[in-house]
Amino acid sequence: MIAGITTSMIRTDVVIIGGGATGCGIARDLALRGIAHYLVEKDDFAAGATGACHGLLHSGGRYVVTDPVAAKECIEENMILRTIGKKCVEITGGLFVRLPGDSKRFRDRFLKSCEEVGIPTEVLSPTRALDLVPGLNPVLEEAIKVPDCSIDPFRLCMLNAYTSRQKGGGILTHHKVIEIVKERGRCVGVKAQDQFTKQIKEIRARVIINATGAWGKKVAALSGSDVPMTLSKGSLVITNHRLTNMVINRLRPPSDGDIIVPNEAVCLAGTTSIPVDDPDAIEVKSLEVDIVMGEAERMIPTFRTTRMIRAYTGVRPLLQADGGDSRAISRGFRIIDHANGMFSILGGKLTTYRLMAEKMVDTIMLEFGLETPCQTAEKPLDGQDELSGYPLSKRLKDISGVICECELVSRDEVERVINRIGTKYIGDIQHRTRLGMGPCQGGFCTYRALGIMHDMGRVTSEESMRVLREFLERRFKGIRPALWGDQLREEQLVESIYLGILSMGKDA
Amino acid sequence: MSVIDYDAVVIGGGMSGLMAGIQLLEQGHTVAVVSRGDPAVCLSTGCIDVCGTVMDPLAGVDALPEGHPYHLTGKEKIRAALDKFSDIMTDVRLPYAGRAEENRAIITPLGTTKLTCLVPRTMETAPRKPEEYIHVVSFKGLKDFYPSYITARRKNTGFSLYDAGVTTTMGIAARFEDRQFLSEFITWLKGLEIPDGKLAFPAVMGLEHPLSIMQEIQTQVERWGFEIPTLPPSLPGIRLFKGLKRVFQGKGGDVYWGSPIASVERSGKHIEAVTIETKGRSTRVNGRAFILATGSFVSGGLFAQRGEIQETVFGLSVASPGPRDDWFNRDFFTPGHAIERAGIHVGRDFRPLEGTLENLFVCGSILSGSEVMKYGCGHGLALATGLAAAESCAEVL
Repeated sequence: MIAGITTSMIRTDVVIIGGGATGCGIARDLALRGIAHYLVEKDDFAAGATGACHGLLHSGGRYVVTDPVAAKECIEENMILRTIGKKCVEITGGLFVRLPGDSKRFRDRFLKSCEEVGIPTEVLSPTRALDLVPGLNPVLEEAIKVPDCSIDPFRLCMLNAYTSRQKGGGILTHHKVIEIVKERGRCVGVKAQDQFTKQIKEIRARVIINATGAWGKKVAALSGSDVPMTLSKGSLVITNHRLTNMVINRLRPPSDGDIIVPNEAVCLAGTTSIPVDDPDAIEVKSLEVDIVMGEAERMIPTFRTTRMIRAYTGVRPLLQADGGDSRAISRGFRIIDHANGMFSILGGKLTTYRLMAEKMVDTIMLEFGLETPCQTAEKPLDGQDELSGYPLSKRLKDISGVICECELVSRDEVERVINRIGTKYIGDIQHRTRLGMGPCQGGFCTYRALGIMHDMGRVTSEESMRVLREFLERRFKGIRPALWGDQLREEQLVESIYLGILSMGKDA
Repeated sequence: MSVIDYDAVVIGGGMSGLMAGIQLLEQGHTVAVVSRGDPAVCLSTGCIDVCGTVMDPLAGVDALPEGHPYHLTGKEKIRAALDKFSDIMTDVRLPYAGRAEENRAIITPLGTTKLTCLVPRTMETAPRKPEEYIHVVSFKGLKDFYPSYITARRKNTGFSLYDAGVTTTMGIAARFEDRQFLSEFITWLKGLEIPDGKLAFPAVMGLEHPLSIMQEIQTQVERWGFEIPTLPPSLPGIRLFKGLKRVFQGKGGDVYWGSPIASVERSGKHIEAVTIETKGRSTRVNGRAFILATGSFVSGGLFAQRGEIQETVFGLSVASPGPRDDWFNRDFFTPGHAIERAGIHVGRDFRPLEGTLENLFVCGSILSGSEVMKYGCGHGLALATGLAAAESCAEVL
């Protein structure tokens, strides 16, 4: 087959561009309301800001003083998601910690605003707070308990997409929209290119939804439209182990490095907020890492000596503001009707993804003249038992065939995933099993996982080399900002494997 | 606390430290090697990379930038070190093949090829021509070796899998030490219908003396066989390390293994002693001279804090690779990160240039400018600088 040639034509009602939480949420909502649709994502699920955030299911506390509307949406959605998505939400609870020097006046405003918005709070003495989270800085003045949770963004996307697939929706990951097809000024479809085979599919639809987050401007431009948005980069670090069982926030106006979130075996700490222009050209600077670590260490002192396994940055798609600090911009969202068959959905947060999807689909229903109501607030996410990850009990049972020692992932599990989704990407296996998510960040098990794919006849020699090179490049991008101490040692060993023992230098 | 006196104390039990120790023993000195644990050589392919940038390693050395530690030893010393190494390894029945003037391309576990200089004899018969048929014989479930990487990349290659009942390189190597297992394996091999050509095994053919196992296979199956290195932990690396350690001990050297250094005692420009933690109590090891061979970051000779790079035993001043943002290239595959140049800057006598210590000598990958990954010069550099530093050290003893 010749690369770059359109090989198939698909007809549907709605095309969603973007496989983050919003896009996947829209796909599920459409599926439940019986509307045919396709979702097109250029990477894997949650590859943008959805996956590159704290994984925090906000109580709303973070925004309650500066943006009470967004805070109210957060607390309402928090209560819904912890009910419908039990297998991807960990009900950790959260603390807002006030340290010496933090404003008492802000604390009073915080409590008052929480009461107005309806966020339940409990004021804890330092002793009580230290009982709950022994690693906290013992000099704290007090802590306020709020219903923050940790959420697995990737699993959330998969579960939403699961419903879509069950109801006949099309989910095309690793397909990039390269063209928006227009006829007589109206958007009537998209051309999506398979990132592996380079083949192009044309998908015709009545409505096209741009749910691409930080890429919103780029995608809108394909149809000759523009969207008013501001991009802000936020960088985070991941610790080698879990330092707290609760979400820890700093009780002060939103600022750099004010949140630490426990997630599975690790903690995520961040963030920064730096305006950027291009979501494809971002990197974490060592200064950002130092800022985040310095602030995290104020809340949990052992952070200073804890090993970091990687750092990453996500781009927040914010509604346009007229200059000023991007933190002052509303975290609310907006739907834009481009009046040409395309809609863009902008802004918002991971926590409010379901609400955003509901409003977006309401708009589509109006467009189609249909009245089926939204069910996503009541119906639990489908597939939670099947896609609930790979629990420790199962990992231990498979231990004799372990190929990822950091996360106890076995050869059998990797083969199961490859058979189920038919992937050629290491990243797809990582997201679904946690393979390579531990301290070596795939240094050892990547060669093994790809070897298994080879043994299963899934990849050719050229493909495996390409996949391995791309994976190592992407991995290095994440690990580079966290290279000091033991992580640097480990990285030099990994380099000696791929560049030394396996001789994968430039010319290989 | 017990107190023991030596002429020379070598800190670090890897390639350069053991080489230096062996040389000093041969010159009639009493020597101890102090090591925190098994060295990075155990993670290597066991092959001696001298300079992997061109086909003639010694010509490659000429082209290395000024400041590379090879320029301190000179080519004759490299050759002498390789000759000495070859002799030593023959003595412990782990013979090596190859010569200093010629690199050879070996097959990697990814099916790519890699240039190296000396190889264990178990790897010697690897085919030089791509059209030569090889048959990869591997083991079911072995997690650090996948024959299909090689069969997919290389023409004229087939493979078969044997069920050894274990899936780790160490586990399978241990099984080959069992005569019964070996004879069953050979019977199975004889039953395979394989086109004419050589047999390629992952490097798991025995823990300590693979050559006799390989020779037995060759005698009975009437095929040449060779080993392909695996990912770490790698048997050829472990065999190499154990072989060198046996030589060192056989010549009367003492080893203090698993013993981190708790403190260092100095007097003016001299290091007098190091104190190590052994079996719950301290041992003071006195030396007239000291050799620092603790390796780079992987081995723990250097440690990078967020702000600065430290030498971990004596706190020597480290030649800096610049600010942290510049330590690593942005691209994983561009050879030569700035961090690889970090290390201890020494003079022709292998004493640190900064500071005033007179009885300390430094060798191996902790030397500044060594850039082992970029130039493919790992073990060769360790051997040559280990030998040179020991000779320099012997002059003060």
